[in-house]
Amino acid sequence: MYELIALITIFFLPLFPFSILFNALFERLPDLRLRGLLLLIWPQIGLGLLHFTSANVNLPLAWVTLWAMLTATLYAFRLLALREMNRWISLLATSSWALLWIPALNGEETLTLHLSAFWFSAPLVLLALLAMALQQRFGAAYTGLYTGLATYLPRFSGILVFTVLAVTATPLFPAFFVMLGILLQSEPMIALGLVIVWLLWSWAGARLLQSLLVGQPNNPSDEITDFSAPLTWRYTVLLTGLAISGMYLTGVSA
Amino acid sequence: MSIPLGARLKIRAMIHMAAEPIPFFWPMRTFIHHNPLHGLEHLPFPQALAVGAKLFHGQAYLPRETYQGYLAADKIDRTSLQQDIAAFNAKHNRSIPGIDLNQCLMTLITQVKQPVSASPYLANAADIHATLHDSALSSIEEINTDSLAGRLREQLLNGRPVYEVVDLLYGAQIGEELDELVIKSCLDFFDEGQSVWEMPEREAGFFNAWRNVAKRNLRFFLRGLRIHRVLAEADKPEDIIAHVLHELGVPEARWMDYFTYELSRLHGWAGFIRWRTSAKHYYWNERYPGDLIDFVAIRLTLALALLDEHGHGRIQHSLSNIEQAIDQYTKATYLRHEWHSGDILPAMAHTIEQAIASGKPKPIEQAFIQYVELKRVHEAREQATRLQKLFQSMDAKAAAKALTADQVGQLLQILADFEQQEGMIWLRSLEAKATHDLLNGINLLPPTPREKRPFTQALFCIDTRSERIRRHLEGAGDYQTFGIAGFFGVPVSFMELGKGSETHLCPVILTPKNLVPEISAAGPQDDAALTALEKAMHELKESVLTPFVTVEAIGLLFGFDMVGKTVAPQIYNRLRKHLHPDKPPTRLLIDKLSREQADSIVRAVQRAVIGKAVEQEFGLAPEDITDRMIRELREAALEHLHAPLNCAETLELDDQAQKSFIERLQTAYRINRSFAEQQMERLGRIGYTLDEQVNYVGQALRAIGLVEDFSRFVLLVGHGSTSENNPYESALDCGACGGNHGLVSGRVLAEMANKPQVRRRLQEQGIDIPDDTWFIPAMHDTTTDEIRLHDLDLLPPSHLVYLDRLRNGLTAATRLCAQERAPSLDIQPNPRKPAMASRFAQRNSMDWSQVRPEWGLSRNLYFIIGRRNLTQKLALDGRAFLHSYDYQVDPKQRLLDTILTGPLVVGQWINMEHYFSAVDNDRFGSGSKVNHNVAGRFGVMTGNLSDLRTGLPAQTVLKDGEPYHEPMRLITLIEAPFQHALEAIEGVATVKNLVQNAWIRLVIVDPETYQASLYEDGEWQTGALAAVNEGHM
Repeated sequence: MYELIALITIFFLPLFPFSILFNALFERLPDLRLRGLLLLIWPQIGLGLLHFTSANVNLPLAWVTLWAMLTATLYAFRLLALREMNRWISLLATSSWALLWIPALNGEETLTLHLSAFWFSAPLVLLALLAMALQQRFGAAYTGLYTGLATYLPRFSGILVFTVLAVTATPLFPAFFVMLGILLQSEPMIALGLVIVWLLWSWAGARLLQSLLVGQPNNPSDEITDFSAPLTWRYTVLLTGLAISGMYLTGVSA
Repeated sequence: MSIPLGARLKIRAMIHMAAEPIPFFWPMRTFIHHNPLHGLEHLPFPQALAVGAKLFHGQAYLPRETYQGYLAADKIDRTSLQQDIAAFNAKHNRSIPGIDLNQCLMTLITQVKQPVSASPYLANAADIHATLHDSALSSIEEINTDSLAGRLREQLLNGRPVYEVVDLLYGAQIGEELDELVIKSCLDFFDEGQSVWEMPEREAGFFNAWRNVAKRNLRFFLRGLRIHRVLAEADKPEDIIAHVLHELGVPEARWMDYFTYELSRLHGWAGFIRWRTSAKHYYWNERYPGDLIDFVAIRLTLALALLDEHGHGRIQHSLSNIEQAIDQYTKATYLRHEWHSGDILPAMAHTIEQAIASGKPKPIEQAFIQYVELKRVHEAREQATRLQKLFQSMDAKAAAKALTADQVGQLLQILADFEQQEGMIWLRSLEAKATHDLLNGINLLPPTPREKRPFTQALFCIDTRSERIRRHLEGAGDYQTFGIAGFFGVPVSFMELGKGSETHLCPVILTPKNLVPEISAAGPQDDAALTALEKAMHELKESVLTPFVTVEAIGLLFGFDMVGKTVAPQIYNRLRKHLHPDKPPTRLLIDKLSREQADSIVRAVQRAVIGKAVEQEFGLAPEDITDRMIRELREAALEHLHAPLNCAETLELDDQAQKSFIERLQTAYRINRSFAEQQMERLGRIGYTLDEQVNYVGQALRAIGLVEDFSRFVLLVGHGSTSENNPYESALDCGACGGNHGLVSGRVLAEMANKPQVRRRLQEQGIDIPDDTWFIPAMHDTTTDEIRLHDLDLLPPSHLVYLDRLRNGLTAATRLCAQERAPSLDIQPNPRKPAMASRFAQRNSMDWSQVRPEWGLSRNLYFIIGRRNLTQKLALDGRAFLHSYDYQVDPKQRLLDTILTGPLVVGQWINMEHYFSAVDNDRFGSGSKVNHNVAGRFGVMTGNLSDLRTGLPAQTVLKDGEPYHEPMRLITLIEAPFQHALEAIEGVATVKNLVQNAWIRLVIVDPETYQASLYEDGEWQTGALAAVNEGHM
């Protein structure tokens, strides 16, 4: 029974190839609210199940860590070539959640683990909202098809830049401190792998921004409007809140 | 593969022909303004613009919105706009019930911001009509794959290089990669001293040197670029070209177009290589030869290797295979093209991507059906929305509702035809307003006779920047000014003191025969300690390893330099100036040497060299080296005397050593007959004969109508600019002096004109220059508007008392001119006093962070050939080239011929360079200066790797992203009787061609009949000046 639950955990704290389930589900969900909910809840379920089974199932620490690292690296690498933004979000989520295995297997506090998952998921929800905004304006959230957004959607572009920084674990945002925590707990070789994954996220984030924001705008229609000032403020407050939380709430158990 | 000699020659000829439309690119050291479409000047202007825009992928006109802004600012003649629209409608003779086409088109261009017509492929008129009426679109018929294949063939196989087609179908980005590799190869080979490590074996030529490096290039090998396979096929560049084109399946009939396309992709580099090959005695080309055949061979070799690498045998990369793929897999090819060309509807992007990735027929078929339907709806909606906007602006919604589907189709066709010609219509109307403004302001009344001669007469360059300073100088006192090409009609090949190379001071269309060396009038000077220190620092910076240490050791010094330049540029520059020794007073050698003089110079040089040789080789003190010894050695080296020599004993030489030393003198020290003859030949180029001098002075004075009433001072004002950290500095210098400062030309003419022998001969020709007239060379710094007098040490003492008055006048003009320019330079706060404005202008010239030290020739518009009186009262805001001309002293039109042949042609180049840099700065200009890096010491690139940037930077023609230079063709006005001017134009083929093909707008103003004649639409339209002024011509 516990073994079965442990197996199910692998779907929720996704390890390849079981991660396919989450990615397929995320891709097929039509509603943004459901997607947001999925991003927030999915790893929490995984952590709950892991907590439930960890005392009863003896997981091979080294192998699972390696598996988690490989999963995270694979998806981080895949991010580089992705152009569809929702898939990008789902793959980044998979890549980052897989890393939660490392602190979990190293006996990290349950609350810290749940918060870590939240810090990974929360900025992804914001990014999903932005992807929806792009979809509404252009018909799809796809990179490389419309460029130069910075020139005609400056507010949206500003928010997008900070959100991408948040999802790629850039300093001051909570995911950065979560990554730092995992890094400090890891063996040198695993730490090296983590750094590579981190680098790939940043690279993928830069590519995403580059293919949307810079370049010559290709005939933007007058109907495409930027974020309103109130909406921009709302996003700003959320991002600032995330950053402040990152500084005060990460590593709470320590 | 080896091809016959005939085939090789054919390829060479084809490439030369294919390169004709590619403009020359002169090195930045002597920036030459040129027409980017010079190679298309044989075509009428509108047609050339269409061809040029296609060839260089650029815009030929400004966006509609900018023209609408001009219309709102009253810079466009609305009547002319209406007339041209009416003419368009009359020509096409089409009508649509309920729609006033004149009103429709006028509304279209004046009120609708974006173009309305597009070229939908899937949506037809019925679909657009249905969308306009909010009806559902009829169900789509089966897409005709043959027609789709035809359209794909038209889009993809229209002369594009094969790799571009592959990029469009597979998203391989080979084109970009190829450009990068070719640019790197060019940078390596054509470097003129910027790199510390040179490319090896450059003497072997571009292709050979590149091939030798490419064969050993480890990076190519590691990434799988099998260059050696392609290179193994042939040795000669022509053979490689033939091999690659056969491999790519390009039929021979299309080779020339293929070459043109390849060259136009990097037209900056191609233009530089083209210029380099055609330049006479260009040092770098003589040493490291490279031509366009090499360039094309390298490009094609790399292209084939890249296609092989990216294809891995799966991507077909011959034209016939691509054609076959279009026919067999039309739907997949269509989807691929949509996807990779960026035309895809975002909503379907993911589906199409997955379908293509699967490669299976079923998903492709399904995606195709779905996509085509969606695209049709999208096209219809887009087109209908644009039409609705137009109807709304016309207030013709009801009429629009009544249109049938056929009428909608007709209307769209009319709009498409009109929008193709719209740019030209705007341009003509813009020029019409500018022409009327000029004609309204000119004064045809003869000048009032003067009671006494002016205090000073000043000859300025025709450059537009002279217009302002001339106006202010005339306003400052009793000054009379004239306009003449800045080289004052004297082509000079100048050898500056301390430099071994010659600089051509004349328009690039001329090649000077006479050499003018500059000679120091002071004694020999030692290098200052600072100069030596600077040299040492430079060596340290340029070396391979030393910079690592240098940064630590003396990096801080550079920090001081940076802070000084940035925080207080004026004070810092003044301090630095004190550290450098002033250039010693110099004289120019302008007189021809006699045979005896030249011989004497050669002998003197030989004696000096032998003296040094003896001193160094035998360690003798100068007092031990006698004249007799040197004479003897010289005679022996020139083979006039044979061993044994009397001096052998003093030098302690036996027969063998004697012979060996004589041989060294002949070879190492070049004391031999053939070198002596060469030196004699070179000396023969120095200076001008008296006849030539008389001719140049006479021609210059007659050309501007200055043949009597000479003042005490006649200033010959050359011009140049001063700026820091500016690779485009020479673009701000005098174009008539080949992109150099104009002072030397002024000094040359002044020295000639001050000579009594010259004046005597001129007197015989009817030009009587009084004895008290003195020609003074001067320099107008166009960045600061300062005018500095030169060679004042030659001034007769009797004139010194008047110098203060002259200087005061010049200072006043300088300050007032700076004040007039200040607002356009965004100097903050706007200086209220002229002196303050002048100080700001001086700071601009020393500020290394200043990207726009001055506006240069921006906003140039008019070229006026006539007497000063014509425009003296008209403030032309530095927009006019002013060439003085008095037809009364030129009955045979010879002077007018000269003006048309030289200055006008150069003016047209300048004007066209500005036109194209303003309409499409990215493609025809050079983009922002901020991102520029100097490449190979001869050009600039954007970032660290790009095509050589041709044209003018954004900071020269744009202000806040909008054109500061209002792009118009050069409006040329000749003040002369109509027949007189017409005969001159007919006599100069180049100018006749430019006028007839509408590259310049020509107006002849007849001061005898008070009529103005404008060449328009292939004929002369003549009207009384008053009628012209009212816009009825």
